[in-house]
Amino acid sequence: MTKSLDIDALRERFLMKDFDEQVFEFSAAELVDYASSCGELAPRYTDPAHPEFQAPPTFATCLRPGRRLPEGFPNLPGLGMDAGKAVAPKAPILPGVPLTARSHLHDIYAKTGRSGRMTFLVTRMEIYDPAGTLLANADTRIVIREKPEA
Amino acid sequence: MTIRHVSEVEFGVELPVFEPDTSLDNVRRFVRAAHWDGPRFTDHDAARKEGLPGALVPGIMSQGFLAAMIHRWAPDALIENVDTVFRAPVIVDEAYRIAGVVTDIDAAAGRVEIDLTVTNEKGETRVFGTATVRLPA
Repeated sequence: MTKSLDIDALRERFLMKDFDEQVFEFSAAELVDYASSCGELAPRYTDPAHPEFQAPPTFATCLRPGRRLPEGFPNLPGLGMDAGKAVAPKAPILPGVPLTARSHLHDIYAKTGRSGRMTFLVTRMEIYDPAGTLLANADTRIVIREKPEA
Repeated sequence: MTIRHVSEVEFGVELPVFEPDTSLDNVRRFVRAAHWDGPRFTDHDAARKEGLPGALVPGIMSQGFLAAMIHRWAPDALIENVDTVFRAPVIVDEAYRIAGVVTDIDAAAGRVEIDLTVTNEKGETRVFGTATVRLPA
């Protein structure tokens, strides 16, 4: 028998609490390759000599946390799948600048349909520069299609 | 037509179709830059051994295609948000087309909302996204 996740209890225990922190740094050449391979033509993303050179706007989604869920989070009662990603750039991500990425569970909710209950976990990674300026939010949604209780 | 100002945008207008480069060489370049290098993205045989139909274009690269398409249409657009749903795999070396349509305009705020889809040669939607962008008045 598989027990359903208790959404209210999980929200109370895990929401809005940082569970992971990583530091990243990228070179100008890497930012150019990232942008150019995606088909970007705007010089502010492809030319390091441009006065506003920066990472392309979806770049923050490539940063990966060290762990997917907080320590102590219960085993998922079903198959967890990547349901999508959202990114909201706030300030330029620059080459050679250490990026501190902190992750927390931002939302937990359930939807019930004909095929049963699906639980959504939204992990938000917040990316900061060394001055503490928020550069971007990157959300990853995991959906769990729960197995029915026997 | 290249868009410079929000006043030039019309509700329901379709963005020029973008056909992204999904070649193995280009995906290899991307995953190295993103620090995502791995055989499931860079080696068809290795990906098939994992049960995949072939090497995958990473979802984050598809998201990058969507942003690039917006900038090809409106080079000065500031992307405020891109929300992407990965419905099915995008396979390396296969042809895809990206379509976009303007679904909302807030002229006072300079904001435009765009729905974007990545479809394969059979017309199947593999990735769906919504973007909010800001344009000069």
